[in-house]
Amino acid sequence: MKDHTKILSIVTYVVILTSVSILLNELREFNFEQFKEFQSWALTADKNAPWWTSENALQWSYYAISAGLFFWRGYLIYGFTYFLSILKEIEKGNYFSDKNISSFKKVGNIFIGYAINVFILKMILAAVEGSRFVAMEQLKEGFSLLIPAGLAFYILAEIFKQAQANQVDNELTI
Amino acid sequence: MPIIVNLDIMLEKRGMKSNELADMVGITTANLSILKTGKARAIRFSTLEAICEALECQPGDILEFIKD
Repeated sequence: MKDHTKILSIVTYVVILTSVSILLNELREFNFEQFKEFQSWALTADKNAPWWTSENALQWSYYAISAGLFFWRGYLIYGFTYFLSILKEIEKGNYFSDKNISSFKKVGNIFIGYAINVFILKMILAAVEGSRFVAMEQLKEGFSLLIPAGLAFYILAEIFKQAQANQVDNELTI
Repeated sequence: MPIIVNLDIMLEKRGMKSNELADMVGITTANLSILKTGKARAIRFSTLEAICEALECQPGDILEFIKD
């Protein structure tokens, strides 16, 4: 079991490092000049004009939404780090520990939180760009799979909670 | 819990110490302490049988039901 957890830990580290490097690369390639444009727009903008009529404001919204998407991807990668904590507990032999139960719940929260927030951001992005947003098409995308995955982690947390109670019962059977 | 474990009383009656009983029954003193303090969730028939044999008593001498 110890060997298996070591292999799984290595795989998790590889997944986390790969995800971080992809995210950093995308951040590097992202057009930060947009932010400067916004700053210059903020200086010269007509304060009385409604913000949504300005083209620059739309650009800024686009920038903010893209930054939001980057943030949520970072949050998803943070969720992967809980797998390391779970594997560490398993390696110690604490299969049904409180830490594992709470980690499963947190992973579930992060997965579902990520999927819902990305869905909302994509909806706002479509509204800003003036493009058509079809919810069912969005649900076909990969990120929507994180909703059932998150629910599976909630179920795992409940199963582990029950197993923990059974373990205590077993230990207190003399 | 309405089930009371009267192991202390039986041990005193037989003039036996906890560690002696634990050795005879084949359980650890820690587990015997769990049983004595009423923290145990369940008791195996095999353990009960060994305790009764060691203390020369009936299960009813060790376990008592008191309604909450």
